Amino acid sequence: MRRREFWVLVLPSVIVMFGFMLVPLYRTVRWSFQKVEYGQPGTSVGLSNYTGALTDPRLGQATLFTLGLTVVVTAFCLFFGYILATLVNQLRRARPVVLGLILVPYVLPHVVGGVAFSWLFDTNFGGIFNYVVNGLTGGALGDPLWFTDVWPNRAVVALNVIWYMLPFAMLMILAGLQGVSTETLEAAEIDGASPLQRHLFVIIPSIRGVLGFVLLIFTMDVLRVFDSLIPLSPQAVAIGNESIMLYIYNVAFREGAVNLGLGSAISVLTILLILVLLYPSIRNLVREAKAAA
Amino acid sequence: MTVDLTPAEGVRPRSSLALSEEVATGKPRYRRSRGRTIAVVSALILAATCILMVAPFLWAAFSSVKPTDVAFSNPPVFTFSPTFQPYVDLWQTTSFYLYLINTVVVAVISTLVALAVGLPCAYALSRYGGAASLVLLVLALIFRALPRFAVVLPMYEISKSIGIYDTRVALAAALIAINQPFTIWLLRNFFAEIPRELDEAAMVDGCTRFGVLRRIMIPLMGPGILTAGIFVFLFAFQEYLTAAVLTDINAKTVPVFIATQIGQNLPLLQQASAATVLLTLPVIGIAFVAQKYLVAGLASGAVKG
Amino acid sequence: MRLLSPARRTARLLAVSMVAASLALTACGAGSRTGAATATKVACDFTNPAQPTTVNVLAYNSSAVDPYSNTMVSSCTHDNVTVKHDPIDFAGQVQKTTATLGGDTGTYDIIETYSFVVPDLASRGKLVALDDLFAKHQATYKLDAIDKSLRDAMSYNGKLYGLPMQTQVLTMVYRKDLFAKYNLQPPTTFEELRAASKTIQDGGDMKYPLALPWSATADISTAYKATLNSLGKNFVADDGKTPNFDTPESTKAFTEMKSLLPYMDPQVTTFDQPKVQQQLYNGSAAIGIMFSGRMNDLVQQKNTKLYDQFAFAAPPAVEKGGKQYGALSVDGWSIPFNTKVDQDLLFQVIAASVSEDASKASIPAAFPARTGLDQSASPYAAAAEAAIKGAPPAEAKPWVPPITSATTDIIGSVILGKTSVEDGTQQMQTAAEKVLAEQ
Repeated sequence: MRRREFWVLVLPSVIVMFGFMLVPLYRTVRWSFQKVEYGQPGTSVGLSNYTGALTDPRLGQATLFTLGLTVVVTAFCLFFGYILATLVNQLRRARPVVLGLILVPYVLPHVVGGVAFSWLFDTNFGGIFNYVVNGLTGGALGDPLWFTDVWPNRAVVALNVIWYMLPFAMLMILAGLQGVSTETLEAAEIDGASPLQRHLFVIIPSIRGVLGFVLLIFTMDVLRVFDSLIPLSPQAVAIGNESIMLYIYNVAFREGAVNLGLGSAISVLTILLILVLLYPSIRNLVREAKAAA
Repeated sequence: MTVDLTPAEGVRPRSSLALSEEVATGKPRYRRSRGRTIAVVSALILAATCILMVAPFLWAAFSSVKPTDVAFSNPPVFTFSPTFQPYVDLWQTTSFYLYLINTVVVAVISTLVALAVGLPCAYALSRYGGAASLVLLVLALIFRALPRFAVVLPMYEISKSIGIYDTRVALAAALIAINQPFTIWLLRNFFAEIPRELDEAAMVDGCTRFGVLRRIMIPLMGPGILTAGIFVFLFAFQEYLTAAVLTDINAKTVPVFIATQIGQNLPLLQQASAATVLLTLPVIGIAFVAQKYLVAGLASGAVKG
Repeated sequence: MRLLSPARRTARLLAVSMVAASLALTACGAGSRTGAATATKVACDFTNPAQPTTVNVLAYNSSAVDPYSNTMVSSCTHDNVTVKHDPIDFAGQVQKTTATLGGDTGTYDIIETYSFVVPDLASRGKLVALDDLFAKHQATYKLDAIDKSLRDAMSYNGKLYGLPMQTQVLTMVYRKDLFAKYNLQPPTTFEELRAASKTIQDGGDMKYPLALPWSATADISTAYKATLNSLGKNFVADDGKTPNFDTPESTKAFTEMKSLLPYMDPQVTTFDQPKVQQQLYNGSAAIGIMFSGRMNDLVQQKNTKLYDQFAFAAPPAVEKGGKQYGALSVDGWSIPFNTKVDQDLLFQVIAASVSEDASKASIPAAFPARTGLDQSASPYAAAAEAAIKGAPPAEAKPWVPPITSATTDIIGSVILGKTSVEDGTQQMQTAAEKVLAEQ
């Protein structure tokens, strides 16, 4: 394809992306150096928003919480998603129904799913989770305070994020499994490999690319968790379960004295964090493209 | 080019592998019964997973048809005479219908425009091997990873200053931009599956690049376009953060509405659960009907990934 | 090489089913009962504006406020004017109020305000002064019957900034059957409250008999203020310069609040008022203290099976002889400074909603600001009147909302036990001093 053709075809999309994303991004960076509220011009404060953010224990707490959540959710979804994908892969007639049901959390708006999820755990509203689990285990669960205790609340949030991210992991791995070469599998079995060894040494290495992709998407998306925390963690600030995005929202939009400058500074810091985490994937991408070219 | 999960040549699904193995080696009884135990266990796991995946939605649906005085009672009641009054109330006493229309209109507009803008771009990216192509793809990836607030809060200010705050247009425009990276990545992967020889043959016959796109690529890409369209539609439907910031009353969407009902008193809370059900049903419908495309869309990323 | 039929079929199927569904459902009267069929129709005779005008009302939903907002919608939507009111919870109203008053243009033309925020908003020029409009329409809507002291509560620097529609006062509700069972009288001090709760707790009927709206994101600040005021101190001393958070009363307020924790659900810091109502509906709590606008819901048969077991009284005082653990709030309607709709029209809409018939119809759900109305139908009116008499005087100063914003998280942290009372009061003092310096 000639260069001019390329640019003509690409231009509308570039304008949309750059116009709607780069311009606001520039605004955010500008704001991060100001003390500003909506509808009013800001006053420049240099780096004080950044120093304020970096020395605020609340940001450190939010980062730790978000990173921890990302790691736990990603690990669980990769593991259990793999198991699910393997199981679903063996279905024939039941596959559409099972896939359809498993897709439900993925297609629901996260905030709506979060509200419905919260009703399950809120005994004040007849939440049946405690009821059912205690019934099944004979009271072993007790009466955890899902919304005010730190770790029970983290468990609820993690469960919710797993709930809506698992379908994606499962589907990706399922698709990846279709491309596993049967010859290699047969060879492994002839060599006496047990099912577990087949999984570990044949299948997983051959879907390495898929797993890497899932890891990438999970990192990007769980790091930005926000919607579910609104109904599920009403006391997020007090118990240290604020995610980075929720912190930005609280600081820049919700709380009494709207502090847009500080919120923007935290946004910029988050972007830097995400870039750092994305770097290996980007490097791989570039390397692959160069190899293919 | 159909897009489905039937395995490529030379690759058979594991189940038929296991089956043919069993038949070929004539496994003794005990191993076959071990196969049965595994089958039972896996069926249980799958069944449990399916139930857990829909449990919150089912519980919300359950609560929405109970009489108000037992809807959220503790301990929960399981026998009651169902009523649809909350749905009737939701429909008739609030502007829920308007919010639903807003959600659908915004989703449809952003899908159509995102595809219109993204298709040529994705085509170009799949055919041009220069550095610009790579740079754009990487940038698109970074854009997709951005924290929404970095982009949406300035949009709030800009939309207010040019007077399009709280309109469906503003929300659709924001969503088009936000979902562009995903759109062009997905479509590019689909385009890459079509051999370049087709383009070249057509151009040798006198077709312009645009003509190739219009007359050859797009018809071939039907399922791919549908897949991308369904994804963008779903993303737009699901969006809360952008909608919460950019809309107020005129362009309010259903997720935003439901979020504002969290702290309501009893009858309205039950209406919120009814709203949840009404929002979820069409989305589940889409998930079932368009399942093949959703899976194929994810698969394309996987196989190339 | 055409678009393959399965794909096309699916697409068409999706589109058609959605259109069909929406058409079918329109027929079911979508949005046909906004404003509620039960709203009182009153005279709302404004001069018809030349252009079609939409009036957007921001007001949270509660059975006390709804009669007024519904009256606005049903009575004033005629000719070229449409009044719109979307359902929203209280937290949403607070956030939207900040947002709509933030710039040169806002979304809402009438906002629900209350005496707590009026001085702050008025001092920053966010509200329109209503005195002239009040004088102009006084006779038509008989506005002088609105209690003068309540109008003063919604004034700032001598000017009226909100038209009062109702009073809300912290009222106590309790289960009369359980009180009869244990031979208890409605508590008049915190000591008695603890004793009554303990009796019910020990009796085995309920694990946590007391329910208070102490949501750590908002309501807990009201609770702290009520306790502090009951002990005789305001947020800021009379000189307007020194916050009172380092006084012994402030420490005592915290210890007294914490003394109630054993009798309340451990998740009480997630309770807003609807959740406290739910506790009472479910029979999980026997005593509650909430604003009077939430009281009528408790005696409605459609809400709970216990609807006939609730009785009302004034809230207890923290210490014997002191003012109640109380708060008096006047709720009303204000006109934002940035509305583009004609202010005369807006005032008439507001005035219509608080007219005599509408106010009368809001009883017993609300306690109207209009004097001379027959309250005998209201099960809690006597309790509310006693509560009004014994409530601490309101601190109607512009610094109250900003200090509240700055200290709510700290208060929550102290009650949750994460911060010691000593550290907490110190942090609150510092934060309040900062706010006052910026005033």
